[in-house]
Amino acid sequence: MANKTDLISVNKLKVNFRNNTEIARAVDGVSYTVRREETVCLVGESGCGKTVSALSILGLIDSPPGEIVSGEILFAGKNLLKLGEQELQRIRGNHISMVFQEPLTSLNPVFTIGDQITEAIRIHKVIAPDELYERCIQLLKDVGITAPQERFNDYPHQLSGGQRQRVMIAMALACDPELMIADEPTTALDVTVQAQILQLLKSLQRSRSMSVLYITHDLGVVANIADRVYVMYAGIIVEQAYTYQLFHHPRHPYTQGLLASLPNLSKRGQRLYSIPGTVPNPAHKPPGCPFHPRCPFAIDNCRIQCPEMCNYGNEHLARCPVLYEKNPDI
Amino acid sequence: MNLEKKTSQPDFQLERPMAPKSSQIKEFWLVFSNNRLAIGGMIIFILFFCSALLGLFLTSGPDPIFDPAQIRLQEKLRPPLAKANLDTLRPEEVPRMGIYFFGTDDLGRDVFARMLQGAWVSLTVGFVAVGIAILIGIFMGGIAGYFGQHYLGAVSIDTLIMRIVDIMLCFPSFFLILTVVALLPASIYNIMIVIGLTSWMGTTRFVRAEFLSLREQDFVVAARALGVNNFRIIFRHMMPNAIAPVLVSATIGIATAILTEAGLSFLGFGVPPPHATWGNILSDGKRFIFDAPWLTFIPGIAILIVVLSFNLFGEGLRDSLNPKLRQRR
Repeated sequence: MANKTDLISVNKLKVNFRNNTEIARAVDGVSYTVRREETVCLVGESGCGKTVSALSILGLIDSPPGEIVSGEILFAGKNLLKLGEQELQRIRGNHISMVFQEPLTSLNPVFTIGDQITEAIRIHKVIAPDELYERCIQLLKDVGITAPQERFNDYPHQLSGGQRQRVMIAMALACDPELMIADEPTTALDVTVQAQILQLLKSLQRSRSMSVLYITHDLGVVANIADRVYVMYAGIIVEQAYTYQLFHHPRHPYTQGLLASLPNLSKRGQRLYSIPGTVPNPAHKPPGCPFHPRCPFAIDNCRIQCPEMCNYGNEHLARCPVLYEKNPDI
Repeated sequence: MNLEKKTSQPDFQLERPMAPKSSQIKEFWLVFSNNRLAIGGMIIFILFFCSALLGLFLTSGPDPIFDPAQIRLQEKLRPPLAKANLDTLRPEEVPRMGIYFFGTDDLGRDVFARMLQGAWVSLTVGFVAVGIAILIGIFMGGIAGYFGQHYLGAVSIDTLIMRIVDIMLCFPSFFLILTVVALLPASIYNIMIVIGLTSWMGTTRFVRAEFLSLREQDFVVAARALGVNNFRIIFRHMMPNAIAPVLVSATIGIATAILTEAGLSFLGFGVPPPHATWGNILSDGKRFIFDAPWLTFIPGIAILIVVLSFNLFGEGLRDSLNPKLRQRR
C-alpha cells in the first residue's frame, strides 16, 4: 500500500471566507494525499472545512466571498491552484469528478438523465452519437440502474433518491476519471440504499482502478469503505491513519471522542457519550489548539500554541503532544 | 449485496418497468389538452397565424385575390356582408364573391382585405420585436445573474446592468419610440427594432431574478464540477430552468408589441399609409365611429382576441412544458 504513487496531494491549503466585518478561516493549513487506487476518507463534524477543501481541488470556491490564501494542490505534477479556468475545465469531470450530497437537487430538473450523462462525455470527448448512447447505457448498467434503455429518457423527478444518486455517480464516472470526490453521497439516503451505494462505489473503485476521496461525518461509512482516514477539526487535520489503526488506536482526543459517541450494542441502556461543547465558529477560533475548550486532556500550553503532528509510525500522525507524551509507543 | 456479480454478468436480465411509458410529446399533450382555455388560445393563435400567412399571399402580388388598395369611392362605408353594387363598378373593382365581408371604409376599400394584410404586419411586428427583446433580455439578465458578483472597475456587473435597466425603464418608452420613429425613415423594420430595443428590461429582470436563485442550486455546481464552461452553464443548463416566466412575459410581450404598433399606426407614426395595419384601420375608422362602427370594432376586437389568445396560450405552455409544475396536477 505505502508504495503506491501519489495521485493528488493538497499541501498547507488555506481558504478564507470574508465578509465586510470578519474573516472565517474555513480551511486553515490542511495537507492530505490521495494515492492511486486508494479510498481516502475525510471525516469531521459539519462546518469543519471538509467540503470546502474538496471544492477547492476543483477550483469551485466562489470568489468573493471565498479566497484561497496559500498552499498548493498537486495533481499529476501540476498545481491546480495555478491553472487558468480553461485548463481547470478540462480537468473537471475528465480527470477529477465529484458526486454531491443532495441527489435530489444535483440533477438539472428540465433535462432527461440520458441527456445529462451524455453531456458529461460530450464536453470532454469527441464521440459518435450511437457510441455515445451505448456508452451511456453501459454506464447506467454499471451503476445498477435497471432497464437503462427505458430510464434513459426519464426526467430526474421520475426517479427515486437512490436512483438519482446512481445517475450522479454515472455522470461522475462518464469520462473514467482518475479521482472521484464523493461529498457525503449517502447522507440524504436511507440506510439500505446507503449500503447499496457504498457497495457500488467500492466495486466501481476496484473495477475501474480509480481513487476515491470520500467526505463524510459517518464513522460507520469510514470503517466500511476507507483505506486511510484523515480526521478534520475546525479547518485542520488532527489525525491521519490507516482505517484499522484509527479505529483501534485513536491518538487524538477528538477522534477518541467521536468513536466513543458511536452507539453500539454493548452500550445499550447507557447514556450515549457526546463531546461537550460545539465546533468553534470559523471566524472566532480559540487560540492554540482549536480543540482545547472541549478536550478532557487540555493543559495550559494547549491554549497558547497550536500543536504539531506527532508521529506514531506507519503513517499514523496525530496532533496531540499531550497524549503522545503519555503513550508514545504504537 | 450481489451488485458486483450483477454488473459483471453481461447477459443479466434486467427487470422491465411495469407501467407503460409515454413519450414526452404525449405527456405534454396530456397536460396541455386538459387546459381548455389554453387550447382555445392555441386554436385562435393558429388561426391567426394561418390567416396572417394566407393574408400575405392573398393580398400581395400584381393581381391580388383580395386587393386592399382598390379604391371604390361610390361604395364607401358599406356595412359588413353588404353585396357589391355591380352596376356602378368596373369588373376589376368587384370584390371577390361580390361581398364586402367586413364592409368598406371611407375610400371604399375592402376592410376584409385590409385586415388580412394588417394581420401579417401585426404578426411579424409582434414576433420580431419580442424576439429582439427576449434575446437582449436573456443575455443581459443571464450575465447579470450569473456574473453579478464580479467587478468591472468600481461597480459590479450586476449593478451596471440593472442600473442600465432602471435608466431604460425611466424613459416613457412610448414617447421614446415616437421620437425615434419620427427621426428614422418610416418603415415596418424600424418599428420592429425600436419596439424590441425598448422592451427588453422586463425579461432582463425576470431572468436575473431566476438566475440569482438558480446559481445557488446544486446542479449548477455539479455542472461546473463536470467541466462545463460558463457560457454553456448559462445558456444550456440554467436558461431552460428560467424560461417559464420568460415565455409568459414573451407572449404578453407579443401582445404588447401588437398593441404598441397599433398605437403608433393610430397616431400616424406607424407603417406608412398605403399599407394597412390594424392600428391605422382603427385610426381611419374613428372619424366614422357613429356612422360606420365596424371600422373601429372589427380591428379593435381582432386585437383584443389575438392579445387574449396569446396570453392564454402562453400560460398553458408554461404549465405543461415545465416538469416541475407538471407534477402538481
